[in-house]
Amino acid sequence: MEITIINKQDDSIHFLVEDVDVAFANAIRRTMLTKLPAMAIDEVLILENTSVMYDEMIAQRLGLIPIVTDLDSYNLPQDCECEGKGCSLCQCTLTLEVEPEDEEVVVYSRSLTSQDPKIVPASGNIPITKLAPHQRLIIEAYARLGTGAENAKFQPVATVAYKYVPVISVDKSKCNLCEECVKICPKNIMKVDGSTLSTQNTLDCSLCEACVDVCEPGAITIDSKKNAFLFKVESTGSLSPETIVSKTAEILKTRIQAALDYANSLR
Amino acid sequence: MIIPVRCFTCGKVVADKYEQFKSEVQQGEDPAAVLDRLGLQRYCCRRMLLAHIDIIDSFMAFATSDVVEGV
Repeated sequence: MEITIINKQDDSIHFLVEDVDVAFANAIRRTMLTKLPAMAIDEVLILENTSVMYDEMIAQRLGLIPIVTDLDSYNLPQDCECEGKGCSLCQCTLTLEVEPEDEEVVVYSRSLTSQDPKIVPASGNIPITKLAPHQRLIIEAYARLGTGAENAKFQPVATVAYKYVPVISVDKSKCNLCEECVKICPKNIMKVDGSTLSTQNTLDCSLCEACVDVCEPGAITIDSKKNAFLFKVESTGSLSPETIVSKTAEILKTRIQAALDYANSLR
Repeated sequence: MIIPVRCFTCGKVVADKYEQFKSEVQQGEDPAAVLDRLGLQRYCCRRMLLAHIDIIDSFMAFATSDVVEGV
């Protein structure tokens, strides 16, 4: 298996995996979505809420705020020594207290004060609610680790997608340089360079085959590379994209090992 | 009511981008260009900002600051 990183940004990573089959590529994707733990607010104690929004709405919004996760210092509640009751090893408390004076105030996620300075909202600019003068919002929220299988708010990824690697080939003897394919391509892959039709940024191709339909049969063929996949992983901000990929590999490895051990025990 | 925290379809956080989107569009910029700059490439996330109507401000007119028991 060979991995080539194509593009890496703060919140997303784009890479090419070669010599794997569809089942394995999908296993990686599904592990990222459902098995990789991340922090999210799971329980909210509303001490006072005189805002125009219901307690439930505020609690739901708090749950969706991605929280920077430190996987090394926290345990999943089911693996914790406290047996899921909630201790400092599996839970972090965040508090919020706002009462505006004489003007309206938007309450942002940055006003959440955390007990642990490492466990903070990934973005401070998420509006939670708006308060009219003298309305009060006093909240105590408990963040914990969880997995996407339990609730989508625990997913550390917004989107994970993979696609086949496109291979575009042009039969030059059948091409009359009509430029129909250049016009129809939604990703601007076809290009006429002097007297030849060439391709650019072929990895962007969405395999829509619009160019194949518009041209003479057999002039343009779009194929995909065998056993190679282009992955796009987009983080919500709770974990860095690199950690997501490496942790996923670890989790997948232990799960496969567990299955193998079980299969071997049957003999 | 207020801008949803995440995109309904893909789960990308969109709430933190709404204020910039709103102010730049009010200044007469092309919404498509602003969305591109904010990094919202998929149409599911783009519609979250494009189609949102903030109605929390109309609720504020009926605001009270008293605690109402049993609500």
